Amino acid sequence: MTTLRVALLHLRIGVMNDLQYRVNFALQILQSLLALGTGLVVLWLVYSHTTELNGWSQPELLAVLGVQILMGGVIRALIQPNMMRLTEDVVQGKLDHALTKPVDAQVLISVREVQIWQAVDIVSGAIVIGVALVRLGADLGALDVLAFAVALAFGAVMLYCFWLVLATGSFWVVRMWFLPELFEGVFQTGRWPVGIYPQWLRFGITFLVPIAFAITVPAEALTSRLEWETLALAAGFAVVLFAFTRWFWRFGLKNYTGASA
Amino acid sequence: MNDAVVHVAELRKTFDVPEREAGLKAATKGLVRRKTKEVRAVDGISFDIAPGEIVGFLGPNGAGKTTTLKMLSGLLYVSSGDAQVLGHVPSKRERDFLRRIALVMGNRNQLQWDLPALDSFELNRSIYRIPREHFLRNRDELVELLEVGDLVKKPVRQLSLGERMKVEIVGSLLHQPQVLFLDEPTIGLDVTMQKRIREFVAEYRQRHGATVMLTSHYMADVEALCERVIVIHHGKILFDGKLGALSNTFAAWKTITAAMENGASDLSSYGEVIHRDGDLVTLRVPKADTARVTARLLAEQAVLDLNVEDPPIEDVIELVFAQENRS
Amino acid sequence: MSTLPLAKEGRLRSLADFYLTTIRTAIQQQFQYRAATYMYLVGMVAEPVIYLVVWSTIADQSGGTVGGLTAGEFAAYYIVWTLVRTMNIVFTPYGWEERIREGELSGQLLRPLHPIHYDLAWFAGGKVPWVLFYLPIAVVLTLVFNPTFDVRPLEIAVFAVAVWGAYLIRTFYQSALGLVTFWTTRVGALFQLYITLELLLSGRLVPLTLMPEWVQTAAWFLPFRWTFYFPIQALVDDLSNEQLLGGLAMQALWTLIGIGLFSLVWRYAIRRYTAVGN
Repeated sequence: MTTLRVALLHLRIGVMNDLQYRVNFALQILQSLLALGTGLVVLWLVYSHTTELNGWSQPELLAVLGVQILMGGVIRALIQPNMMRLTEDVVQGKLDHALTKPVDAQVLISVREVQIWQAVDIVSGAIVIGVALVRLGADLGALDVLAFAVALAFGAVMLYCFWLVLATGSFWVVRMWFLPELFEGVFQTGRWPVGIYPQWLRFGITFLVPIAFAITVPAEALTSRLEWETLALAAGFAVVLFAFTRWFWRFGLKNYTGASA
Repeated sequence: MNDAVVHVAELRKTFDVPEREAGLKAATKGLVRRKTKEVRAVDGISFDIAPGEIVGFLGPNGAGKTTTLKMLSGLLYVSSGDAQVLGHVPSKRERDFLRRIALVMGNRNQLQWDLPALDSFELNRSIYRIPREHFLRNRDELVELLEVGDLVKKPVRQLSLGERMKVEIVGSLLHQPQVLFLDEPTIGLDVTMQKRIREFVAEYRQRHGATVMLTSHYMADVEALCERVIVIHHGKILFDGKLGALSNTFAAWKTITAAMENGASDLSSYGEVIHRDGDLVTLRVPKADTARVTARLLAEQAVLDLNVEDPPIEDVIELVFAQENRS
Repeated sequence: MSTLPLAKEGRLRSLADFYLTTIRTAIQQQFQYRAATYMYLVGMVAEPVIYLVVWSTIADQSGGTVGGLTAGEFAAYYIVWTLVRTMNIVFTPYGWEERIREGELSGQLLRPLHPIHYDLAWFAGGKVPWVLFYLPIAVVLTLVFNPTFDVRPLEIAVFAVAVWGAYLIRTFYQSALGLVTFWTTRVGALFQLYITLELLLSGRLVPLTLMPEWVQTAAWFLPFRWTFYFPIQALVDDLSNEQLLGGLAMQALWTLIGIGLFSLVWRYAIRRYTAVGN
């Protein structure tokens, strides 16, 4: 399939490009360490005052932190760069390059940018998850691991859709530079199991910004509290969101190409 | 030379530029020990500018023009030599000095992007402590001279490049500087706008007696405005004098453009053929031989039309630089 | 040709005139960015709201209080936090980096006024629209989280001054850090370190009383606690008059140290900048 090949090619070029900037790796490692350290300090502070939060034990909270860091890495390495580039291209009228290629535009604008050094967070998140599992003395069966991977995948898809919907908004509302900071702020809610938040906020970070599905649900899989209904809901929501995103993207594109004669 | 507005003596500016080869090994070595190369941007130049003069600073990229202007406006300190503007040492950046100069750079904007230029003018008024009556008078005069009109009420980001340049100039001159440093002021502008700005500079100098130092790529700028030209290349001054004298000093030749009846004939025996366009031939001839060659051409060839000119300044300059590069 | 005469007012009045003009300009400009400002504020508020929920949950789970604070008191702390945060937004080292990279600094150096005055005035002016936009958010937070408040007039007065003290302290230390850009483009790393330290030692993460003893001691020797914790305390805690006024004095002290540090680095920075240019 040409589309897949082109997508992979773009990804490879993006990675090669980034690997040139070795200093960025060092800087990113520092940044990740600082962020991780801060997260651990907060957890440790919480531990010093209580043994469990909303039914989640200490190592279980650590697992949530790990998933949040990992997902954060996925977003900042693969999703965010593409979406921000899309909004910039729309503002500067450079989108035409992507539209005149014989590859589906949505695929192209979703894979051409990558910030590979942000993947450091994917690694550090995985390490934290590992440590948490060890402390839990968890006995994870193959089914739990599969559920975790599937939940993670659904979560990633939903986050991608969320970002693409926002970025597509730039076809109409041109200024979107505050997106990364805004998202970063809201994404921090994922450091904790969403059960602790008041009803209205919980709803918002489940269905408006798919943080619960991206972080808490996979964490539930890891801590053996995931229910089949939740996973099914995640699957259904992912499919619906993806379909909507695809439609919205094409709608926005039609609008855009109609406008720029 | 106490009444010189700008006094420059044996001015030098050297930069230490890091040198690095390609490859991982060189990069790692480069982390520990940096190899630097000394670049002489300005290499011992001297000149004096009297009050009210307009001087053009001509030279290719990297010749040292902008570096010189930056040293004279205090943005760079000198490596060696003497630089004085209005009796001040520019690098000290004294308030009194800064109030009396202006440096306008081609495509750098110093006005607030999202607001009408009028608001930025108010900011400048307070920065330069311009008395209100003078501020209003200067502002209105500049707006009128540059034919800016209501553009000052629109947010700067909505203006075209040329319009932006004009309001930038207004903002830069509100404090009525005695010395104007213009660095490529017409770069990127269309022909009409360039002409407008040239006319403005001439008019401004006429009205206020300001001293102007102008750098440009465009000969038209220099030809239109400057009585005196300083040619600089590789950080050294090649020529300092009247524009007309430039071709006399460097170019001891003239160009003859002839429209031939039969363009195919070979005219190389008359002089150097530098251009051929169908029936139109351009010859380069040593000045002393001009009359003789012209007579011969008219006698021996079927000439429909003939024109004798001084070489265009661009060609002179190019030749000067080419000579310099070779030497 | 004669020099333009100076405006009749003395230097101090001219400076005040500049500040007022810049403040007015900043207000105008910020009002143009209402939507973006709101988005930013929403993102900013997420941080304390999360802490609020976590600590309130722990408090409720642990019989009402944790670290001596009830859920209502946490709510008060973090809501006042959001106001303090709005007031202590300053020009960051990233801003200095961009300013130097884009050549803006050259333009500023040509002017007979130190760029720091522009930053101080500009961000001070920006506060007016920011606080106005923020007020509805504060109302919503108050309705949702039920903070417990008990304020005296002196506390309000001290708070009003203390937020500006926080603003000044952050301005000078962050600007001093920003000047490091003259030597290296990797000032981002240093800034991340600064922010992490600030997070832990300023009361930005949690009220300092929840931190271990040694951290609380360390916080007394650094300027951070005066940028978040003291202003919040002034309004939320029950400080004595001596503590309130003493706190303002400490803010003044740290501001002076900050000004000294900044001036020192500036002198070297300018020497370096005018050596290599832009």
